Amino acid sequence: MKNIRNLTAIVTVFVLVLSLLTIASADSAFRTLDEIKSSGTIRIGVFSDKNPFGYVDEYGEYQGYDVFFARRIGEDLGVTVEFVSTEAANRVEYLETGKVDIILANFTVTPERAEKVDFALPYMNVALGVVSPDSRVISDLSELTAEDQVIVISGTTAEDYLIKNNPEIKLQKYDTYANAKNALENGNAAAWANDNTEVIAYALQNEGYTVGIPSLGSQDTIAPAVTKGNETLLNWINDEIKALASEQFFHKDYEATLVDTYGLDYEESLVLEGGGLTE
Amino acid sequence: MDWGYIQNVLPLYGKAAWLTLRTGAAGILLAAIVGLLCAAASHWRVPVLRRITSAYVEISRNTPLLIQLFFIYYGLPKIGIRTRPEACGILGLAFLGGGYMAEAFRSGIEAVDRIQEESALSLGLTRLQTFLHVILPQAAAISAPAFMANVVFLMKETSVFSAVSLMDLMFTAKDQIGLYYRTAENLFLLVGAYLLILLPLSMLGSVWERRLRYAGFGT
Repeated sequence: MKNIRNLTAIVTVFVLVLSLLTIASADSAFRTLDEIKSSGTIRIGVFSDKNPFGYVDEYGEYQGYDVFFARRIGEDLGVTVEFVSTEAANRVEYLETGKVDIILANFTVTPERAEKVDFALPYMNVALGVVSPDSRVISDLSELTAEDQVIVISGTTAEDYLIKNNPEIKLQKYDTYANAKNALENGNAAAWANDNTEVIAYALQNEGYTVGIPSLGSQDTIAPAVTKGNETLLNWINDEIKALASEQFFHKDYEATLVDTYGLDYEESLVLEGGGLTE
Repeated sequence: MDWGYIQNVLPLYGKAAWLTLRTGAAGILLAAIVGLLCAAASHWRVPVLRRITSAYVEISRNTPLLIQLFFIYYGLPKIGIRTRPEACGILGLAFLGGGYMAEAFRSGIEAVDRIQEESALSLGLTRLQTFLHVILPQAAAISAPAFMANVVFLMKETSVFSAVSLMDLMFTAKDQIGLYYRTAENLFLLVGAYLLILLPLSMLGSVWERRLRYAGFGT
């Protein structure tokens, strides 16, 4: 009898938590532009393990293309920036729960994501790419055999693309960039699919790897994102991106953070100024 | 709450639950064997083995499973030892659990009065017979609650398997949220699935504990 009474109690608590969850998910907590300004700090979600876009350097400082832009946002808003480290899979949740004000973590604009968050104007171009070891370069997805596995990072556009378009490919999923890179180095899979910027950087930084498929799927863009409905902040970011075009800010950003990895060859194809609206 | 979506992902959760159960059960079984061997080594005071055992117990109990898994999955391949994700999960669980199980069994064995062992030996039983027929049955009864607590604890520890790319319940939920942003539905399924596995387990445990409660002679 005691067991049954315990069980009833547990089920009751479970249902209670569940109903709280449903209520909570309908209510999104975000901070407006004025609230951010008066608090004196803005919380920006960035990657901590995605060199050279968002990473922590050997002195414990956040660095990278996204971080460079984040610092400028803080400067122009007149507030200090508090960096919050995110993983690919929790970027939407961090905005929905108000843990961060802006996500600047190499966030590719997709229709599904645009239903959940509000994207500002884009600041970078991106497509998917596949990197594999020199010993067996994969230059087409059809070269993968039934035993081959492909590494993807949970919650990325690469994962979504492969699930939808190549459901026959076996995916090996990791939750962080650091783990995925380590797994590729250990030879746990035939290849790694991710944003092409990321895999190109990987092949340039690590000897013995080639980007066999430099462009897969459609050309997309990367943009800052705010919590759905946070119009004041969204408009401010859009104005900021437009204003920064006059000083070619993102070219400067590229030259400060990405040039060491990519050289100057990729500058024009990657960088977007003023949201790309003038082109 | 989108019930259509829940219906769609239910098979994924079924697969994940099966993986959690399969790796959990294998890991716990291995952990129990390792723990019993360690406890026996320290009971019989086997010279060198005793030292190694106590060092192992300290290392396994005082490092997180996540670190042990990293070591096996990402570290060992650097020196040429490669394990598949599932084997790595089982090994990690056995390594961590072995230490906990050893302590659970040791406390049970130590709780059996020395006079029991002395009486058995004076009646002409060998040391092994004494251990198997006199000490272990009583020790098992005393260790049962700690043992069952360890089983539930180890089952829950499978939730860090995402680090080695195992699609267990936790990682499946995280992955689905990351892909389709259905937080409420996936958290509901996640909690539900864990309760479904762990509730019967701990109930079974309490029934079993009561069945075993016959120890305590000679005290």
